[in-house]
Amino acid sequence: MSKNRISTGISGLDEVLCGGLISGRSYLVRGGAGTGKTTLGLHFLAAGIANQESVLFITLGESVIQLHSTIETLGLDMQAINFLDLSPTSEFFAQIQTYDIFSPAEVEREPTTQKIIQEVENLKPQRIFIDAMTQFRYFSSDTFQFRKQVLSFLRFLLEQGATVLFTSEASNEAPDEDLQFMSDGVITLNFDGQRTIKVSKFRGSDFQVGNHSVKLTGSGMVVFPKLIPQISKREFVKESIPSGIPEIDELLHGGLERGTITIITGPSGVGKSTLGMQFMKEAAGRGERSIVYCFEESYKTILNRCEGVSIPAKAMIEHGKLSLVQIEPLHYTPDEFASLVRQEVEQQSATIVMIDSISGYRLSVQKDNLIHNLHALSKYLQNMGVAVLLINEMETITGDFRPTDIGISYIADNIIFLRYLEIEGELRRAIGVLKKRMSDFEKTLREFEVSRYGIKVGKPLTLLRGILKGVPEWTTR
Amino acid sequence: MDNPLILAVDCNARNLELLAEFLHREGYEVYRANSIEQFVHAVENLAVNLALVDISGFDRNIWESCIQLRHKNIPFLVLSSKQTQLLQQESVVHGARGVLIKPLVIKNLLVMIEGLL
Repeated sequence: MSKNRISTGISGLDEVLCGGLISGRSYLVRGGAGTGKTTLGLHFLAAGIANQESVLFITLGESVIQLHSTIETLGLDMQAINFLDLSPTSEFFAQIQTYDIFSPAEVEREPTTQKIIQEVENLKPQRIFIDAMTQFRYFSSDTFQFRKQVLSFLRFLLEQGATVLFTSEASNEAPDEDLQFMSDGVITLNFDGQRTIKVSKFRGSDFQVGNHSVKLTGSGMVVFPKLIPQISKREFVKESIPSGIPEIDELLHGGLERGTITIITGPSGVGKSTLGMQFMKEAAGRGERSIVYCFEESYKTILNRCEGVSIPAKAMIEHGKLSLVQIEPLHYTPDEFASLVRQEVEQQSATIVMIDSISGYRLSVQKDNLIHNLHALSKYLQNMGVAVLLINEMETITGDFRPTDIGISYIADNIIFLRYLEIEGELRRAIGVLKKRMSDFEKTLREFEVSRYGIKVGKPLTLLRGILKGVPEWTTR
Repeated sequence: MDNPLILAVDCNARNLELLAEFLHREGYEVYRANSIEQFVHAVENLAVNLALVDISGFDRNIWESCIQLRHKNIPFLVLSSKQTQLLQQESVVHGARGVLIKPLVIKNLLVMIEGLL
């Protein structure tokens, strides 16, 4: 983190802000009820406490007692946070405290201002969190006064050397555009089925645009920055990765190259995942680590199937050469999933990543654009020199041939397809290569079998025609 | 005139406290009355220069005490949370010099007080 940058306390948000907040400035955190504004503020203060800084929480809405439980879940030390509780007490409800003779602007502003000045001058906090600044609207007789008061208030706090984070409770009746103009940065939290965070202003710094996924967990807020493939790159040798089955390697003229995206497509049960696992088995033999994200099948099912076709998945896992990660699609956003993959690639150095399957991934994308997200993830992996295997299930068993159902073929450097064939009343399987950007490939199809001894691929099926229709005929017999 | 005495009448304790604080800050002596009895006592026994009567929360008997202010030539302003024609009429009939609607605008209140003293 550079000299004048300070952490927000949320690593994903620091990444979105290209290194954190610039110190000595004021930032607006806006969003509706329950979007996590206070949680974000508490992370900001916690990061200060971790640096032995003096921090101040000025609350105008929730009382310190109410905040207590939120703070406990974050595991913060209450004693380390200095509170200035300006929230109304229960006595206010009683007759003795209510008044209507003067407006709140006339009555409350001065004592409130005095309390803040006194506290700030005593503590000299390096970080201040104000929740919520919009309460000051009621201390001002009109919008001009509000703007003037907020500006001078922020200037006072910044002159004391603090970095200020303040929230707004915006609504259609009381919009907060004025506060957006007054701050050095604007962070918006949103909850519309999915939680997101967006930075729309950051004076003096670049930032990652767009909506990034947010998760509020028992231990606070986690931000998953949107994947930008261009900013990640790793040096790697563009060499072929063989499958270990000579016939498949002949089909591919050597194998699949590092840093390429391969779609393995075909109908249900034809052996797509097993083919992908075969590449990983061979990679494990070379001492490389692979990872499979299973969106559909359970961990146990995959393990049992691998063991049944002579792929020692259990042993590969035990030796740290394979990781099977079961993903519940509806629990993950595309940004969150991408963050999981990044961790594996950047920290565990995985060289092959298989997503099983695209339709499972599609579920986690939900309303978002599947092609856009899959493109970003695949391109990132490509830049990192990872061989990407995308498993694509076709709904049709036989019939007219299409590489995929969802128009993603353009992403792929390689397309390997598996087909069912009906030959003389018997259901058989074939493998072929449809596309390979990095090298030439065999144009014929070969018979493909999966047995307890593993994958077996036959000679090129040169004597059959009509294979792609699924009901081939012998040309000579 | 040394520190004029202003009689502040309000049945809301917080209102009375805030009004008295404000008048003190402006250099006036203040007598607080939060009941009709205290109001009558002040009119009968003190040399009141001006009265501010918040009628909210009082019943119609408040007007009887206002008549006493008129009889003693003590100028007074009626304070209310809403402006109605009936209130305007009643205030004038009972001798008020004006009606101020709450929340009061401090600048206006000061001008009115100075004008009446």
